[in-house]
Amino acid sequence: MSEELRARVLAAAAAETSPTRADVRRRNLLIGFVAAASGLGAFVIFTALMSEGHLLRLGGQVSPDQYLERPVGLVATSVGGALVIAATAAWLALRRGRSMLGRSRGRLLWGAALMPISLLAWKVGCSIAFGASMVAWPERPGERCLALSLFVAAGPLLSFLAIRRSAPVQPALNGAVIGFAAGAFAWIAADLWCPIAYVPHVLLGHLLPLGVLAGAGALLGRALLAPRSK
Amino acid sequence: MAVITNEGLDGADAAMERYARGDAAAFGDVYDAIAPRLLVFLRRATRDASASEDLMQQTLLHMHRARGSFIPGAPVMPWACAIARRLVTDSARRRRVEQRLFSEIPADDDRMMYAPAAATAAADDLLHAHRLAGRIQQRIDALPELQRNAYQLIRHEGLSLKRAAEVLGTTVSAVKLRAHRASVALRAVLRDAEKPA
Repeated sequence: MSEELRARVLAAAAAETSPTRADVRRRNLLIGFVAAASGLGAFVIFTALMSEGHLLRLGGQVSPDQYLERPVGLVATSVGGALVIAATAAWLALRRGRSMLGRSRGRLLWGAALMPISLLAWKVGCSIAFGASMVAWPERPGERCLALSLFVAAGPLLSFLAIRRSAPVQPALNGAVIGFAAGAFAWIAADLWCPIAYVPHVLLGHLLPLGVLAGAGALLGRALLAPRSK
Repeated sequence: MAVITNEGLDGADAAMERYARGDAAAFGDVYDAIAPRLLVFLRRATRDASASEDLMQQTLLHMHRARGSFIPGAPVMPWACAIARRLVTDSARRRRVEQRLFSEIPADDDRMMYAPAAATAAADDLLHAHRLAGRIQQRIDALPELQRNAYQLIRHEGLSLKRAAEVLGTTVSAVKLRAHRASVALRAVLRDAEKPA
């Protein structure tokens, strides 16, 4: 090994500042706040734009189902369960386990498969248990919920990618799981806003965004998380 | 075949842990512990001394940038190998694109550039050994990438099946199968060499 090479590498490292573990912890906390704020802000903006007064000012129509009342217990149970699933998804997507190479492909694939299934099962199960809102709403196919989910998830998706930063093994799959995790948080927003549990509506408006976000996450993961040669 | 030892790797893990906490001097220890093995890994992968030095520098700088996310107790070498492997793939892809753009350079030229100069040995057995080593290297180069990577990580880098599987992002049984197939192919080269002409 040449001393010249060693000196060159150490000098290059010294010339480039890099965050220590404590810096990364602070930075990730800040990014977490930004993710939460962007998701919450997007939710508030979207619901304000979709409010009765705003829609009427724009000459739009207000459908009566928009104000369908749900029991508080149903909302709390449904959102609470989704929150637990979303937190688990974020833990799976952002923590690497005990290895710097991240979680194994099998675990990531299992997680990616279980996330949407468990969210859908929980939503439908809660609605059946509370005997509410499983009726068809043909005038609400789900495009507003789709838009809400994508709008709310954009900030968390980028923030989660920034927190993860690098995945030398399976960057696309890691990105897809990050997309699912961001989608799981957007699911909570859609669940809070939308009273409909009609399954075709849930599939299009609530579940499809998870697929879209997973695809976007995979593309962004491959582009941003994989180490690149210069 | 290189003799595999794990000396220094525990030291590398501890040095990386100190570096992650902010001890700037620990990077030198990380370098000393992993750079020789990393360079051998990269030389085998690229067969180009200057390219491998450049990629090793990039790998270590990548680790430097990511030091804050280093997990306490995590082994450093599989991480370094995974980054290096990704950089080799990316650099080869980039080279192919450049070759396509400057099409006067034949696509196979990099192999020629990386080929080691023929050694001149007087003794017949030395010549025979050299030829055999060349044939084995050719066979290693001709192996499918998945088999070659598995074989190199296990036989040359001394990683366990589990660690190699993590680096390659696959299962232990898949790595075992790939390394076995590579070994079978290389044994065939040795058998052919032993046959009388």
